[in-house]
Amino acid sequence: MAPSILVLGTFAIAPIFYALFLSFQKVQLLGGIEYQFAGWRNFARLVEDDRLGIALRNTAEYVAIVVPTQTILALILAVTLNAGIKGKNWWRIIYFLPTVTSSAVLTLIFMWIYNTDGLLNHFLAFWGLPTYNWLGDPAVALKGIMLMNIWSTAPFFMVIYLAALQDIPKSLYEAAALDGANQWEQFFCITLPLLKPVTFFVVAIGVIGTFQLFDQSYIFSGGTGGPNNATLTIVLLIYQAVFRDLQMGYAAAIAFLLAAIIISITLIQRQFLGSEKFD
Amino acid sequence: MKKEWLNFVFLAILVALLLIGCWNFVLAPASDKQMPVSIRLGGWGASPAEQTLLRQVLQDFEAKYPDIKVKHEIIADQYMDVIKTRLIGEAAPDVFYLDISEAPFLMSQNVLEPLDPYLTPEFDLADFATPLLESFRYRERLYGLPKDYSTLALFYNKQAFAAAGLTAPPRTWEELLTYAKQLTVDLNQDGRIDQYGCGVLPDLARQVYKIEAFGGQLVDSNGYAAFATEAALQGLQLLVDQYRLDRSSALPSDLGTNSVDEMFGRGKVAMIITGNWTIPYLNETFPDLEFGAAEVPSINNKPGTMLFTVAYVMNKQAEHKAEAWQLISYLTGKEGMQKWTSTGFALPTRQSVLAALGYARDPLRAPLIAGIDYATPWQGGKNLSIVATNFNNQLLSTMLGEQPLKQAMVRAQESANRQIRANE
Repeated sequence: MAPSILVLGTFAIAPIFYALFLSFQKVQLLGGIEYQFAGWRNFARLVEDDRLGIALRNTAEYVAIVVPTQTILALILAVTLNAGIKGKNWWRIIYFLPTVTSSAVLTLIFMWIYNTDGLLNHFLAFWGLPTYNWLGDPAVALKGIMLMNIWSTAPFFMVIYLAALQDIPKSLYEAAALDGANQWEQFFCITLPLLKPVTFFVVAIGVIGTFQLFDQSYIFSGGTGGPNNATLTIVLLIYQAVFRDLQMGYAAAIAFLLAAIIISITLIQRQFLGSEKFD
Repeated sequence: MKKEWLNFVFLAILVALLLIGCWNFVLAPASDKQMPVSIRLGGWGASPAEQTLLRQVLQDFEAKYPDIKVKHEIIADQYMDVIKTRLIGEAAPDVFYLDISEAPFLMSQNVLEPLDPYLTPEFDLADFATPLLESFRYRERLYGLPKDYSTLALFYNKQAFAAAGLTAPPRTWEELLTYAKQLTVDLNQDGRIDQYGCGVLPDLARQVYKIEAFGGQLVDSNGYAAFATEAALQGLQLLVDQYRLDRSSALPSDLGTNSVDEMFGRGKVAMIITGNWTIPYLNETFPDLEFGAAEVPSINNKPGTMLFTVAYVMNKQAEHKAEAWQLISYLTGKEGMQKWTSTGFALPTRQSVLAALGYARDPLRAPLIAGIDYATPWQGGKNLSIVATNFNNQLLSTMLGEQPLKQAMVRAQESANRQIRANE
């Protein structure tokens, strides 16, 4: 017990308290570290900061689009795989490849695809669809990151769904079929309700992961959150506050805001999806 | 439970003993023999050819001073973020690069060693171009010695000029705008423009001279943004109107390129305003391109350009300051600087080296050298990075047609100043 408490305390619990301490301080970092009590000033600054507003809006938009899309996509992929298509293992490997690839590498590859002369625009032009300046146009830059992330994380949740699908007893489907339920009715009345706890897990992990979007938008914009703050996310703002502006206290305050948002959204989800009872 | 606890304590002691043992083992031989002093030199990465050149200069230094070893550390990305973090963690290199734009901030933070006490008459400080030295002075003290510099000049594609019947580069901004229209052409008649007149970068680093052309200023004396004035807007409007109304200029991302240099090299734009670094890049990547250089066309009858430079500075925490100074004085001394700048990657900051290398007679570099007399140094107080971020964001949105320039600049100024006030 003692070693694990020590390790956990040093690397997980103590940093939380240190961050709490920092969020009430103004820290002078360069040329000798000095702490100065700042009261609620760092938190008051949260209200005034218009870049935080932009970051919140971007992140919220990102979560609102990515989480439902990747959850539904994961479910569709899992159900089709579970239905026993030919070459199941190959499909599984193909689907799962993007998830095991490093996100930094994925982002770089996608930046080539998104180039104005790149693959995606050629593809769109081929079908007569409008092409975009994916990296330079603030209106679509975040959409580009969304597309990439849905593609790379959906398969991970697919695997979780797949495992859950295999746990659903066959007898339930047989009974339903005897009662005259067709495939759709079986899916909506048996599969979906029984997957509810898994869906809660998938959505909760999805929300937490997407709220913490950092590396993709960092690489995409070279750390600036551009073009015109279009890819500025909360975690990127925290990074900028610490490493660019050296405002440790303010960064800790933003981090607590982010934690509060994630915790409250997870609690709300539990109200809707969390109960394990079903009729 | 109790036994586990004892085991743990025992293990911890064992690890501690092992560490102490190894420590002595490593240190022991070092104290016996006189080891050469090791100096860490930090910088960002550059092209392989430039990297090789620097390694060569450092080897020459080590040959000359056998008791000093130089450990060159390359910081690949986000240089200033990494340097600041290492300075805080007391792990920064002894000598490192400092860009002119970041100098006011670091100099005000009391982390750099003033270099005045080390200067000797033989070092000949007066040999340096004055505007370059002034950029690294803070409260009467000199903190950095510029290793090289560049201004901006107009580079033009000679083939494109000949095709459009133009014989000489533009001398005024009005001429530049007229030429740019003539140079914007759809060569294969497919309805898409193949060559634009100008390649532009809506980046503050390349626009400050436009702000000043009509009497505007970037920041006030307290370091707060002050560019949302009529005078400043007048200069910036030239950039925006050319892009939005004349449609004779293009941004790198419009054409699927990463930089203005690349646009120019690939023949997608006929003119760019850029610095010395473009010359070796073009010669290496696009050897068939025929291009010329001229001074930046005058705006409002006033010449203007930007001044960029990088200095070697010494970490205040450096352990071997005398040796660190040896390194700086060699690299920025007459001998070292001549080696460093002889292949044309950079322009020497010493007048004597500049004369010895004869760059003033080089038609591509003469306009860059002429610019130093009227150039605006790329500086703007210690909050420049905040000012620049807000400016760039809002200017880009104006270029994309989301809002008029005035509204964008007022927003950029207010947002920058709010951020600066909050940081204080």
